[in-house]
Amino acid sequence: MAETVDLVFQARGVSKFFPGVKALEGVSITLTKGSIHALLGENGAGKSTLIKLITGVFRPDEGEFLVDGTPVSFSSTREAIATGIGVVHQERNLIPRFSVGENIMLERLSARMFKPIDYGAINAEARRWLDVLGLDLDPATPVSQLSVAKMQLVEIAKALSLRSRVLLLDEPTASLTTHETVALFELLKKLRDEGVSMLFVSHKLEEIQEICDQVTVLRDGKNACDSRPMAGLGRQDLVRLMIGRSEQIPDWEPRDHTGSPAVLQLEGVSTPLGHRDIDLTVRRGEIVGLYGLVGAGRTELAKSIMGKHPVTGGTIRLEGKPVLVGSVGEAIHTHRLGYVSEDRKQEGLILLHSVLDNAGITIWRKLARFGGFLTDRTIRVAAEPHIRKLEVRTPSFGQLVGNLSGGNQQKISVAKWLAAGVKLLIVDEPSVGIDIKTKAYLHELLRDLSDQGTAILLITSDMPEMIALADRIVVMNDYRLAGGLHNTRDYAAMSEGIMNLIHKAEAA
Amino acid sequence: MHGDETSVAAPGPAAAAKPMKTGSVRFYLTNEFGLVVLIVLFACMFGLLTNGRFFSAFNQFTLGRVAAVNIMVGFAMMVVIVTGGLNLAVGAMGVCSAMTFGFLVEWAGLPWPVAALAGIALGVALGWINGFVIVRSGLHSFIITLASMSIFFGVMIYLTKAQSFRAIPPGFSAFGSMRLFSSVSPLLVVAVVMAALLVFLYRYTVTGREMLAAGARPEAAELSGVRVGRVFILCHMLSGALAAVTALLVVARTGAAIPSMAGQQLGQDWLLPAFLGPVLGGTLLSGGRVSVIGTMLGAVLVTMLTNGLLLLQIGEFWVQACLGALLLIAVLIDLARRSYLAHRRMV
Amino acid sequence: MSRMVQTDWFGPLAVTLLAIVIIGAFNPSFLSPLNIQVLLLAITVNMLIAYAQMIIVAIGQMNLAVGAIGGLAAISFTGMMQVWGLSPPVAALLAALIGLGAGIVNGCFIAITGISAFVITLATLSVFKGINLAITRAQPFYGVPQSVKDFGNTTFLGPLPWLVIPAAVVFVLMWYLLNRLPLGRFILAVGGNTHAAELSGISVRRTVIAAHAISGLLAALAGVALVARLEIGQPTIGDDWLILSFAAPVIGGAVLAGGHVSTVATLLGVIIVAIITQALVLFHIDPFLVQVVLGLLILWAVGINRWREVRVARSLKRI
Repeated sequence: MAETVDLVFQARGVSKFFPGVKALEGVSITLTKGSIHALLGENGAGKSTLIKLITGVFRPDEGEFLVDGTPVSFSSTREAIATGIGVVHQERNLIPRFSVGENIMLERLSARMFKPIDYGAINAEARRWLDVLGLDLDPATPVSQLSVAKMQLVEIAKALSLRSRVLLLDEPTASLTTHETVALFELLKKLRDEGVSMLFVSHKLEEIQEICDQVTVLRDGKNACDSRPMAGLGRQDLVRLMIGRSEQIPDWEPRDHTGSPAVLQLEGVSTPLGHRDIDLTVRRGEIVGLYGLVGAGRTELAKSIMGKHPVTGGTIRLEGKPVLVGSVGEAIHTHRLGYVSEDRKQEGLILLHSVLDNAGITIWRKLARFGGFLTDRTIRVAAEPHIRKLEVRTPSFGQLVGNLSGGNQQKISVAKWLAAGVKLLIVDEPSVGIDIKTKAYLHELLRDLSDQGTAILLITSDMPEMIALADRIVVMNDYRLAGGLHNTRDYAAMSEGIMNLIHKAEAA
Repeated sequence: MHGDETSVAAPGPAAAAKPMKTGSVRFYLTNEFGLVVLIVLFACMFGLLTNGRFFSAFNQFTLGRVAAVNIMVGFAMMVVIVTGGLNLAVGAMGVCSAMTFGFLVEWAGLPWPVAALAGIALGVALGWINGFVIVRSGLHSFIITLASMSIFFGVMIYLTKAQSFRAIPPGFSAFGSMRLFSSVSPLLVVAVVMAALLVFLYRYTVTGREMLAAGARPEAAELSGVRVGRVFILCHMLSGALAAVTALLVVARTGAAIPSMAGQQLGQDWLLPAFLGPVLGGTLLSGGRVSVIGTMLGAVLVTMLTNGLLLLQIGEFWVQACLGALLLIAVLIDLARRSYLAHRRMV
Repeated sequence: MSRMVQTDWFGPLAVTLLAIVIIGAFNPSFLSPLNIQVLLLAITVNMLIAYAQMIIVAIGQMNLAVGAIGGLAAISFTGMMQVWGLSPPVAALLAALIGLGAGIVNGCFIAITGISAFVITLATLSVFKGINLAITRAQPFYGVPQSVKDFGNTTFLGPLPWLVIPAAVVFVLMWYLLNRLPLGRFILAVGGNTHAAELSGISVRRTVIAAHAISGLLAALAGVALVARLEIGQPTIGDDWLILSFAAPVIGGAVLAGGHVSTVATLLGVIIVAIITQALVLFHIDPFLVQVVLGLLILWAVGINRWREVRVARSLKRI
């Protein structure tokens, strides 16, 4: 039991309700001095709501927060920061054209609008905080010249300089390379040893296990565990806490596709983005998984196949014939390729438009009669079966997609490809931000789709998802292929094999 | 389930493009219905205040002619707003087309239908230039059309030496002076026909749908097979064509092609009416949504207000100030209306 | 050396010097004292116009009402002296306050309603222009006191017009504002990353209003200066400011999305535009072509700025 004097931050019995939804109910968390505390939870478990409450975006409906034993309340993000909640978000929150020093000290300037700035003093003060982090950086450097990793470190320096009691790190390794992640973790451990209290939010269990000493897991809006020490918790334990049962790898029959015709063949493909010598084959009815860490170049490869980026070397064959995909339109309408984007809100869907408009967009050209004439009814007739098949819950086809839940949105973004009757479907991170039920549903769907003959290229960094679905797994690292494996469905063996391939490539 | 609470943050559209039950509250809160109410209200008010002069055949005729121009210039801007951009060069493009027309009928002696087509073709070409530069450079349409407005107008003034063409064939200017049923101008008929064509475009053609999709979210549209660059260029070409038609209507009305028809400075005078129509009509400036009827009604309302104020002898100098105030009030009301709808989740 | 090349002012300075040399070589009267005086007069007024827009570009917005505010201030200035008999300094001060007030109106509407600056300033431009027309009935005010006319057209120290002095003061103040005063840094912060600025305690609302207030003030000063130069209170003052107000900042490397402007480079942009306009006259090129040249200059400048930005983004240095 931690000494009261060591309790830096507490949430007690916090609840938050939205119309028709109990996002959080009686959630508690306790952060002690000098610790890295993991916050885990499936998408939809209430993690993001809790973060929004802690950072002041929302106010709790029930319960309280305590900083250093004193109850606090804040009604804006500014107030939260002032109360001692330091946050380093996923997206960078720096002024690009300002210097490092000015960014760090920006708060302090806001006292007076007309007092001349002493840049010497500002840079000296900023230098102090950079030294705390061991960053050898000239405070006068414009932030825009820094790498993303360095920018993140500047934000950490800034949060510390504001005398934050708690440092909340939201998916800090999302855009870092392996080297940068290692450097970051070294720094976090150093800060921990110096007594800083950190709340580490991530969905990467390997990282959590590596660096965190305490963990709180949320499930269905409640605590599945509250501030437990990490010691003794293995991956399966964490997963069980997160989803309430052990990871279920669906017991699907292994399938053999060696005889099937190849739908997609990449032979020695290179792109101006950096891909080199990519060899990849996806056969009819096969699900090929493409695994890699952030920055491996998988999405970029997918977009190159779809014709968005040019292919400068090698050959792409579709059903055996070499093709040059000149544009995305060509890829979709001529070659019957499809791509479910990882960023469904920006690239996968048009939130402003209706369900019907979104589901039908890929078949407008096909359905149009002479002169481009096309009615809503024609689209509805063609698209309805697919929307219904996916069991999309929507009051009407005229409903704006932006008003649907994440899971239903994702279903629409898949439905439009079903309507188009694609031969090859590239699926990029399909389960991000999706509730568990829909996730399982989508997995079944992809399996069925491939059983019916569609070739599927699955891009995901979710290891269980990969191992559940893929017939074959190809590993990519740094825009090159690191190797391939046949999926034996033995989770431990497969994940080890994959990680080995990645590490081998990293070491090379 | 929990899903994303934050997914409800859809930018509340001005009016759902889908038909809805007439009796529902949402219908009465749409832009189009509101505009109809306002038009009726102001018509009655002006009719009363002017002792019926407002409704005289001649006044309705005059109103119709001015409304036709306002509607068309509103359309010229609307088709670019759909892409999420702006076309500041509508006035300049229109004037260029009109002067080309004037030149061709007066100096080249071409029959006016041919000259008119040539003028419209020029508008399309100028629009293509705008669209091409915007798409290729990736720069914002504001600065590109600001520059092109200056260039087009400058070249036009240089070529014409600021001279007007007054020898417009009677056949053409008859359109401006003819009266159908003693109060309807053929110019208004042209505008209404254009409106119908545009409604058809956005509702019943692939191109129109692609325009809306590309304007709403270009990245998503592109990855769904829409050739976004090509579509944007088409929108600008259409804008050029509509600007040309607008200018031709003005030539028909005034009987001459004058370089300052859209103002002394680069055609700036057309900017306010060009925006009033679409904004009042509920076309979102962020793109992806359009209301052709709304733009038309908005332009009619503006014209009516101007006409009524002039009839009431509120000095012509105050009219411009009033229109500016009207735009302000219109956006404020629209903002209030949309936040009310979003708040009640009626959208 | 390469760091200097990358600054905003290097390119425009090089172009300016080159232009002066080339034009001077072809037409020596370009460098005559009279011509320099004319150039300086144009530059002083245009600089104020350019800064009025520049400060709004800095917050990532646009102010279409710059000309209308300037025009309103101009006729108010003249009208107050002619009709109310106010002394020039008092009238100038009141005109400046009118500009300040107009800017505050703009800023308040934009900051409080969240409606785009484009639409708001399009609306207010019409309102201000309308008030202008209503007051003047499209007729100029001729009653400009001799002292004002002298201030606008006489020189000291050779070809240096008196107008240069207030302009130079404004230049220094603007530089100081954007580089040393928190308010100026807030303006650039809000333009650079509004969300981050807000999280750092900057009141976006107050900053936007302040920026528009400054813009209105500068526009009013430009209007007053122009009245002194033209020696007449023209209601059409400001009608042709739109292109110019954007051309100079853009040539000076301003990023239209906000967060980056340069006082020095914008001034150089003003100088370039003035030189080119003058050159067209000197070489008997049709003055109507000035518009074309301005438009092409804008395209060229934004093109270069964009190219620079893309290059920087591509080679995101890993320090």
